[in-house]
Amino acid sequence: MASGVTNVAFAPPPDQTWTRVSPLLARMRRTVVIALGIPVVAGVAVGLSFAWDTAGPIVGIIGALVLVWAWFAIGRNFRSWRYVERADDMVVTHGAMFKKLTVVPYGRMQLVDVKAGPIARSFGLVSVKLHTAAATTDAEVRGLTPDHAGALRDRLTALGEAHAAGL
Amino acid sequence: MPPASDQKTGDSAPALADETFRLHPLTPIALGGRVLGILIVITALGFAERGASGGASPNWIQVAIFGGLALLLVVRGIITVAVTSYHLLGGELRIDSGLLQKQSKRIRLDRVQSVDVLEPLSARIFGLAEVKVTTAGSERAAVRLRYLALPVAQSLRADLLGRSTGAGEGAVEAPERPLITVPHGRLVGSVLLQMVSWRLLLLALGPALTVIGQQNGHKATTGIGIAIFVWFAVLIAHAIWQRVNSLWEFTVTDSPDGLRVRHGLLSTTRQTVPPGKVQAILIHQPMSWRPFGWVQVRMNVAGYGRADSSKRTTLIPVTDRAFAESLVGWMLGGVDLHDIPLTRPPRRAALRAPLWWRAEWAGADDRVFVGRHGLLSRTIDVVPHQRTQSLRLSAGPWERALGLASVHLDSTPGPVRTRAAHRDAAEARQMLDRQIDRARTARQIGTPQSAQAPRVS
Repeated sequence: MASGVTNVAFAPPPDQTWTRVSPLLARMRRTVVIALGIPVVAGVAVGLSFAWDTAGPIVGIIGALVLVWAWFAIGRNFRSWRYVERADDMVVTHGAMFKKLTVVPYGRMQLVDVKAGPIARSFGLVSVKLHTAAATTDAEVRGLTPDHAGALRDRLTALGEAHAAGL
Repeated sequence: MPPASDQKTGDSAPALADETFRLHPLTPIALGGRVLGILIVITALGFAERGASGGASPNWIQVAIFGGLALLLVVRGIITVAVTSYHLLGGELRIDSGLLQKQSKRIRLDRVQSVDVLEPLSARIFGLAEVKVTTAGSERAAVRLRYLALPVAQSLRADLLGRSTGAGEGAVEAPERPLITVPHGRLVGSVLLQMVSWRLLLLALGPALTVIGQQNGHKATTGIGIAIFVWFAVLIAHAIWQRVNSLWEFTVTDSPDGLRVRHGLLSTTRQTVPPGKVQAILIHQPMSWRPFGWVQVRMNVAGYGRADSSKRTTLIPVTDRAFAESLVGWMLGGVDLHDIPLTRPPRRAALRAPLWWRAEWAGADDRVFVGRHGLLSRTIDVVPHQRTQSLRLSAGPWERALGLASVHLDSTPGPVRTRAAHRDAAEARQMLDRQIDRARTARQIGTPQSAQAPRVS
């Protein structure tokens, strides 16, 4: 019954649609998993086959299954990264297994962080994180293109100034 | 005479005059504190060694090393005092420091979240005090003015708070009205009862081992048993002493420039939290206090952080439930916590949180959100809508399987973490949406402070 039931809680706000992030996010993660996963699985399989003949194929099959699962899990997780900018706040959601949805009122934003690690940068991806005075605020949008992220940051900063409410 | 004292705010000075002041000259000694004391004792022992080694000269090496270190410590302190100066410029506090690398720090006083006057034992001996100014942000954002003569520190506190609340220069301490002083007996009793926990089992481990050792004639086991017992007894005694020492004479008063909290036996602390700077409050009842009906009240204040949370975030260490509830209600502008309709998770949440699901209450009126949780220990969390930061919805795999979700209200770091756990998913989303509206309305209107304070219990 259930996971469908829970989805109503994570539906887009009424009369709004989610903005999705760039599919490059999934491609980046898949590339990383494949690039690291295949050599590791192959190495372990070959190494173990010296000790025990049948270990090689068994490890190989299990490893391949895990990688296939990871391929689909990444897709599922990628589709879960969504956000919508509303009049007074921004709603951010992500997570397939552990679902999370955060609402950050513009007036509560302390700063907007734009970040990109070396791998993300090589794929042309940036993440935008919203900070409030609460440490528990969990509002991050990953997988934005630099143009998108820059525009989003500028919009948020302007909205933050317009709505600013003291602590 | 401390040169700082003649810089004290003149009562006749015009509003928001600029002032400059410096640290007290005894600061280097008070800053050295325990370390300096130990160094001096070792140096003195070096001189005294004459007798022990049969009329030889003092142990010059020992004297030179430890005396030198003590001197270095003091000289460093003297330089700090000499190069540090504080300036009150209108609505700003500026601190200039540094000998070679000059530093200048500015704090906007309207951003101040609390002002504390601390008297650690090593400073109290010399009649000195520290003024700690906390602004929103991390714990590192706090500015510590160490040390000033106590009267200077107090007038500076009044001045800072006066400027921060926009009431102008409050050189004269604002009049205060006592709300509560925790009786000594009750404080000690509550601290002792809080020690009643699983830790006592470790204490029992010692005698148990001793008995086993005795019966089997195994001396090592007996010895270990005694050692464990003594070790844990010392640890527990130390914990009790620390709490009693820190919470002694706990007094809360109300004044125009904020809520004042005073406590401490050997080292004392005076905190002042300006009106409206308390972000969230909780009333907590440890299991062992339930027969007595005692509770404690703690608060979130931006900038207090979690590092020294239990010390600075305590509003009342122990009191009656009724008084705590009326005080909290008053602080939130006349809210009656009993009037707020609370709901519980659906019955199927028992599969996610067996037994405890029954204790997960949550609800809101037009001013505050209230959450209750805990079966054995009980907690009531209260957050005014006006102070909520962000709102969150979460659902783990187990919750999703049951069609449940939890709502969280984010506040500044501190002991209060408000939530409505394991709700029906649709209901959770409804709560979230309503909470968004309430918070927005509250931010636009602002909540008025109420007039009538509760009576002292």
